[in-house]
Amino acid sequence: MFGDLRRFDPAWAPGGDWFRRFFDEMWPDPGAADIRSVPRGSFPMINVGRTDDAVRVYVFAPGLAAEELEVSLQDNVLTVSGRRGGGAEADTGERRTHFRRERAAGEFSRSVSLPEGLDPDRAEARFRNGVCEVVLPKREELKPRRIDIQAS
Amino acid sequence: MSEVAKREENRAPTERRERRMDALLPPVDIYEEDNALHLIADMPGVQRDTLSIEVNDNVLSLEGEVALEVPEGLTSIYAEVRAQRFARRFTLSHEIDMDAIQASIDQGVVHLILPKKETHRPRRIDVKPA
Repeated sequence: MFGDLRRFDPAWAPGGDWFRRFFDEMWPDPGAADIRSVPRGSFPMINVGRTDDAVRVYVFAPGLAAEELEVSLQDNVLTVSGRRGGGAEADTGERRTHFRRERAAGEFSRSVSLPEGLDPDRAEARFRNGVCEVVLPKREELKPRRIDIQAS
Repeated sequence: MSEVAKREENRAPTERRERRMDALLPPVDIYEEDNALHLIADMPGVQRDTLSIEVNDNVLSLEGEVALEVPEGLTSIYAEVRAQRFARRFTLSHEIDMDAIQASIDQGVVHLILPKKETHRPRRIDVKPA
């Protein structure tokens, strides 16, 4: 009967990003968005950086063990997927009174498109402090090369 | 020339203020269990030594520096985490035993246990037979 009162919408919870979302909805960005773009604050957050010889992807996935996160690269699309929380927390849920539930839980999957010309065979991923760093080396032929200028 | 200098001067304090404001709000779960409040915060990239938890005047502040090992010459092409630190503050109620607060961090997840004072725990009242 009072189901509506208890309905919980984390997106509009105080302290969340509701203010930004409110403005985004009031004045939507007229520019073209990337086809794989997601609203800000989607879990896990992703940063991508580039050096001369590699592209580095940082996946901010706190609380996940290395084996719980799956990273795959197809063509130039990187997909991270996994599952967080749920199990043990749900069991003891009866005795708990929740005041805030802002952390994402459950299954997730995200894809980002990366620059072309990466070598998936030499890719490496490392997990530290809840951040997964994926290093994707560029193919040899795409690395910047120094061109010697010969004196005539 | 002098105008340029003046503008530079004006900009310095705002930059400093922006840097202080430029912190991410970590998402938290808060629940009550076993006579204690539990606070779980997602702070990826924060290590034990870059995390600071303070209780001052009933205000609990949680701050952590994001320590990423970024190679030199890295240019950002896409960034969702744009700040270097997480910060969030909560006011505590008087029933929390400030001296008994415990904190731990594992894989970027902070777990705080805020026990209630002995005097505020629920007591069972025996009903005597008449």
